[in-house]
Amino acid sequence: MNIIEVKNVSKSFGSKQVLDGLHLGVPKGSIFGFVGGNGAGKTTTMKLILGLEETTKGDIFVGGEKVTFGNTKTNRITGYLPDVPEFYPYMSAEEYLTFCGEFTGLKKAERKQRIKETLTLVGLEGNKKRIKGFSRGMKQRLGIAQAMLNNPELLICDEPTSALDPEGRNEFLELLASLKGKMTILFSTHILGDVERICDYVGILDEGKLKVSSSIEALKQTYAKSQIELSFDEAADFSILIAELNALIEQEIITEVEKINEQNQVIISYNKDYTDVAGVLLESLIAKKIMPVSLRKMNPSLESIFLEVIR
Amino acid sequence: MKNIYYFSKKEFLESWRTSRLLILMIIFLILGIMNPLIAILTPDIIQMSFGDSLPVNIPEPTSLDSWGQFYQNMTQMGLIVITLLFSGTMSGEVSKGTLINLVTKGLKRSTVVISKSIYLILQWSFCMLLAFFVTWAYTLYYFTDDNSPHVFLAVFPLWIFGILLITTILLTSTVSKNSYEGLLLTGGFVVLLFVMNIFDKFERYNPITLTSENINFLQGASNIGNYMPAMLISFFLSLLFIYLSIVILNKKKL
Repeated sequence: MNIIEVKNVSKSFGSKQVLDGLHLGVPKGSIFGFVGGNGAGKTTTMKLILGLEETTKGDIFVGGEKVTFGNTKTNRITGYLPDVPEFYPYMSAEEYLTFCGEFTGLKKAERKQRIKETLTLVGLEGNKKRIKGFSRGMKQRLGIAQAMLNNPELLICDEPTSALDPEGRNEFLELLASLKGKMTILFSTHILGDVERICDYVGILDEGKLKVSSSIEALKQTYAKSQIELSFDEAADFSILIAELNALIEQEIITEVEKINEQNQVIISYNKDYTDVAGVLLESLIAKKIMPVSLRKMNPSLESIFLEVIR
Repeated sequence: MKNIYYFSKKEFLESWRTSRLLILMIIFLILGIMNPLIAILTPDIIQMSFGDSLPVNIPEPTSLDSWGQFYQNMTQMGLIVITLLFSGTMSGEVSKGTLINLVTKGLKRSTVVISKSIYLILQWSFCMLLAFFVTWAYTLYYFTDDNSPHVFLAVFPLWIFGILLITTILLTSTVSKNSYEGLLLTGGFVVLLFVMNIFDKFERYNPITLTSENINFLQGASNIGNYMPAMLISFFLSLLFIYLSIVILNKKKL
């Protein structure tokens, strides 16, 4: 069952079409990675789901209820963490959460309890400093605390890790991963490693259309290419190597060759059994006296899948 | 209703912690003290400046001079300070994105506009009354004449005009992208009112007369009832500006 249903949604800003007949379903209870390059339409999609933007065409449903522009009722089950969350700098974290909590309809005692819980969860408990003195990472953590304050069924995070340092990013991803099973998380990013680390579903958005949407495992099975990486030292004669590899393509042993000049590396794609291909490949190279310094079977990465999908 | 209270409370906290309320209180307090003082000192200042060469005798100051200073300072300084400090009240929230977290928590945009209106009107009323009562107390202390019998009646139109100006600030701030644009539009509106005042037949209807006839109201030389149309127009324009602010904010991209 999907908690979010985006049905044939288009969105234009003036003459620029950002989304073009987008269909998207986010399974309940999943951590859904929403992937796409800059300007692909991720933020626009999220703002449409939150009723912060008006669709040009199509409908969006959250928890089975239609999203309306402006003051959508579906936000009562939703928490939102913007890419750069903005707060009132003159308040402390607790004051800000109290202020937000007043609009959620939580009773005073329950509100106090939730504020305490969320501040502890994000590691800001007992912090009396005003928000203007917070680091970027602390603001991001406060952002997730406010998003989770009403114990939402759906948490929407818009590129939450893009501006964090490696440590902050790691902490944040661990925090999101710890929420698995407690709520559905829609998590947009262009950092594919983050998606691979915590998400169980992924949707790839490109040029306003959802190119693919499935579980990461299914995606790897469908799109991942079998590849071998060969590395050579600087003395290797690449013209002979390329000629030999082209001969292997003609013999249909391998399918594609991609040379990475700066690192003296060659990536070879194939669609037969690894042992057979690697054996023939090594034999050919030995015959031509071109010895690689390393040969590595490449595991399919989301990055290579992403590039394959948007190609 | 509760949300209006919560958001108004936040407006007060913002005004207090960013020192804007303190600045306003100090300015209006100084204005209150200065009004009767300037009235008393003006003849001496003129005497010192011109010496014995002054061909006419300067009359003794009265309570009217003190109240004259009050109305002059309130319009030329008080209202201008308020406009400068709050011209970005809505554009700031929208451009910084501070409303996003709240709107996605279920806060209605209309609540934001209404709360800001209520807080700004209360703040204006408090500051105006602060300056008014300080001026009144000192005027009673320094001047024993009974030239100013209708002090409350005279200040009421100024209060109404202040409310109109505040709702104008709110509307222009909602329309504009930053505080400078808001300031420009508010200034443009006030200039328009001044220009309309050139035409005598508009005088009774023009809100700007609520800031220029106060001394006459104070003395009872002018009937306040004659300016009821200007007060009613100010009142309805204020409501219209609040309504328009809600409509515009509802359509605004946060």
